[in-house]
Amino acid sequence: MKKWARNKILHLCSAMAVAGLVSVMPGYTQDWASVKESFRNIRSVKAEFLQERHLQILKDPLVSQGRFFYLASGALRWEYLSPLQSVMLQKGDSARLYHFSDGAWKQDLAQGVEARRMVLAELSHWLQGRFEESKIFSHVYSPSPSGRILLTPKEGINRFILGIEIVLSDKPGVIDRVEIAEPGGSALRIVFRNVEINSSLPSELFDKP
Amino acid sequence: MNFKKKRTRTYLFVYRRAPSPRPLPQTGGEGKGEGERSHVKRQTASVLVTSLIAVLMLCTGCLSIPETELLPGAPEDLETCFVLFPSGPWECVHKIEAVIQEGMSSSLLGITKGDPAGRKLHTLLLTPEGFILFEAEQQEDAISVLKAMAPFDSPAFARGLMEDVNLLFFPPQGRPSKLGKRADGALVCRWERPDGSRREIALSTVPKILLRDRHGDLAKEALLTPPFVNGLASQIELLAFKPAPYRLKMNLLSGTP
Repeated sequence: MKKWARNKILHLCSAMAVAGLVSVMPGYTQDWASVKESFRNIRSVKAEFLQERHLQILKDPLVSQGRFFYLASGALRWEYLSPLQSVMLQKGDSARLYHFSDGAWKQDLAQGVEARRMVLAELSHWLQGRFEESKIFSHVYSPSPSGRILLTPKEGINRFILGIEIVLSDKPGVIDRVEIAEPGGSALRIVFRNVEINSSLPSELFDKP
Repeated sequence: MNFKKKRTRTYLFVYRRAPSPRPLPQTGGEGKGEGERSHVKRQTASVLVTSLIAVLMLCTGCLSIPETELLPGAPEDLETCFVLFPSGPWECVHKIEAVIQEGMSSSLLGITKGDPAGRKLHTLLLTPEGFILFEAEQQEDAISVLKAMAPFDSPAFARGLMEDVNLLFFPPQGRPSKLGKRADGALVCRWERPDGSRREIALSTVPKILLRDRHGDLAKEALLTPPFVNGLASQIELLAFKPAPYRLKMNLLSGTP
């Protein structure tokens, strides 16, 4: 159970970023019920992201770039373009992980894939605005000064994550960034850009790396 | 010298000296003539030689690898061997591909911070998403594991990883037991450990750091590809043979003194 919780948290943050990004919110003055309703209008999301990993050991953050594609019908492609090239593909209940090396995509060792699958299952709840069903976080929606959702870990998880903040951009329906605070001063910050909502996404994006 | 290569060379050496089968002589006569008796002798000799080859091949696997003979080196050569390692405190980030079996690999990020003067190390392994799988510190021989996610949470993994980091980033301590040049001109510095294992630095076209067990068998071999940035190789390929085989391909993303 302890390992399950650890593994789940391991990939929770990227999933949270997706959840935050796809939370299309019509305006910051909306109440929580309206915000939740807006989740259900999402059919697809396409976006790029810049990820900064702040660690006590490093003077400068570790910066990664990537992109992701999401279909509300149950498919996700979460891809890093640099410094590592890796991609996680989820379709239905199956999740696969690949990395690019020596000119070819290689399936990654199975470690962590199961944990990712579990997190992705939880993510699908969030994408439908079902935050109440999370067994890991409690949530608070704050409409001002800028729209944001604060997620607080429940007992046990706070050893790994102190809190998650999903900050909305000025553009309605788009998330500006996700910030995850960890014990010991470490943090993860993901800034999104070029977000496209409900555009047409070819299904092969979710089949092949 | 790679252990397997050495075995192959021994095998080839013996093979070349094995008598090749020859056609039967044309006796042209009746009964067991001189030609036929000669053929039986050759067959017997052939069986003996084949047996000898087999014995030699088996023994090659039992014997420890003899040390490569070195031409005497100068004392200042020791500093040249140390050029492969950072001379002061450093921190670096590597892109790592870990290959456990052919076709089974994983992609990770590795962060290491070290201080050779105090023999201090701080190292992290992260997923591409930036989540910490393993974090440990080392001061002299004491290892403290700060974080470890399954399957990186065994003491054996912690020991093995820290041994690799030590091998790649810290120069051996003390005076080398041997220092000199091989016949091909490569400078070699060799340290014997109290347990009989050996660490060796070979500065040939591709600089290498080798670790041999007390039998002389190659346990680990690191190939360091220049250019060196702040004493850190741009690329490292670590091949582990014993106790468990694996391969790490490390590309330097950043390195600062």
